[in-house]
Amino acid sequence: MTKKIKLKISARLVKKRTRRASSSTAKQCRFCGTPAFVADIDYKNAGFLRGFLTERGKILPSRISGNCNLHQRALSRQVRKSRCMALLPYIAQYN
Amino acid sequence: MRMVLIIVTLLPISMGFFMSHRYEVLILTVPEVTQDEMKQLETELDKLIVAEKGSVISFERWGKYKLTYPIRHNDYGVYFLIRFEAPQAITKQVDELFKIRLNNFVVRHVVTALEGESLEYQRPKSLEEAPESRDMDSFLKKNKMQGLLSSVDKKEAAPGQDVEMATVSEEESVESESASAE
Repeated sequence: MTKKIKLKISARLVKKRTRRASSSTAKQCRFCGTPAFVADIDYKNAGFLRGFLTERGKILPSRISGNCNLHQRALSRQVRKSRCMALLPYIAQYN
Repeated sequence: MRMVLIIVTLLPISMGFFMSHRYEVLILTVPEVTQDEMKQLETELDKLIVAEKGSVISFERWGKYKLTYPIRHNDYGVYFLIRFEAPQAITKQVDELFKIRLNNFVVRHVVTALEGESLEYQRPKSLEEAPESRDMDSFLKKNKMQGLLSSVDKKEAAPGQDVEMATVSEEESVESESASAE
């Protein structure tokens, strides 16, 4: 059996390949890199958690912040706790 | 033999229930909380903990904060952080205390088990601690921009000027009209 060779490359595939080539280094979780930061994931430390929110007060996806699944879950849990105590907003309001 | 096995397996679980753990409660109260109410909070919680043979580690007043959303029509609130050592069974009683008995000034509370040995933590600065208020007028005064300061006076002055201008323009228009008539 000879392997079929793809003669025609679709535009979508080209785009996909270029995108992958451009981002050569994968994002790394900052908490895995420096375990000292893990203690900062705390519902009382609202100033730190604010860095992981959008302007409107939504939690940034790990796709953008680069957190691993474990730390993203820990972080979002603390953000929700902090919101309950009115240290962080559910929705940031227009001024 | 079976009984012994059951006891051995259940022992750690039951021990966990009666063993003392370390907890912390963050309490949010209304901004106009008085000294008496503060003392009431402290003594009532202390009573509860001592009755369960626990001990209070720390009682802190964080200070006044601006809330991110209004609660009970209040834009501001005062936070308290209390850490204590007590058996697990106490958490329900603590909830009841804040939800029912101290309901008139405690707005929100959250009980969490402390993990690890260290008691260090970080928190945002309260309004009392912050050296510079974010008030616009104080900022202008500090940076010697007095011209921008009297925004209220300007508003009052501005319509007056407009009126003068209007009267002048009216007179002019009248003159021009009379001139055209001649």
